[in-house]
Amino acid sequence: MDKYKVRNNVRKLRFNHDEMTQEQLADKVGVTRQTIIAIEGGKYAPSLELAFKIALVFGVPLQEVFSYELEGDEK
Amino acid sequence: MSYQEKNITVSLVSHLLIGVYYLSQLFEMQQSGGLVSTKVFSLWVIVIVAIIVVNIVGNILTHILSNIIHALKTGKEEEERYIEDERDHLIGLKGSKVSYIAFSIGVLIAMLTFAFGQPPLVMFSLLILSSIVAEIIGDLSQLYLYRKGF
Repeated sequence: MDKYKVRNNVRKLRFNHDEMTQEQLADKVGVTRQTIIAIEGGKYAPSLELAFKIALVFGVPLQEVFSYELEGDEK
Repeated sequence: MSYQEKNITVSLVSHLLIGVYYLSQLFEMQQSGGLVSTKVFSLWVIVIVAIIVVNIVGNILTHILSNIIHALKTGKEEEERYIEDERDHLIGLKGSKVSYIAFSIGVLIAMLTFAFGQPPLVMFSLLILSSIVAEIIGDLSQLYLYRKGF
């Protein structure tokens, strides 16, 4: 079976939102900076609720922040 | 290193120290003529109380030291914020699961020693030891998950 992975554009979106820091994003969604670092690094797939919160902060649909792609399938 | 990681590290070090103390006391008893129930019972009490007290004191000290370091770094007197989020809860749960599995194996080994003719004191001493080892393995697995991610 093919292996899929949750990928994200959090780093890019932060940059496009006045270079928002990881700390600021963490504060806005109510998690620690370590969790944001883990999400950005692809080490942690957030819960659906947290994923929606992050998308809300950036004001974009969920699929613009997170995508579910084949592992090794780099964009 | 996050606050949670610092807390787990403190817990790991304290469990390691208590484990070493417990093992050294058991070996000492073995070498001076075998396990004596009164001495073993008092050792169990010391170890169990030490685990509880050291964990509480360790948590408080970590909190205080973290705040002092935070204040020195930022130059402000505000307290560092401690949030426990979903990732911390998940890592905590996984750590507890690993701990539980390790303890179950320890219980099995302890019961096997009894089944193979060892006295009950040995079985109960192994039970206490396996609980300490399980805590250490749980702490290590949590630290690993914080570092590696999942």
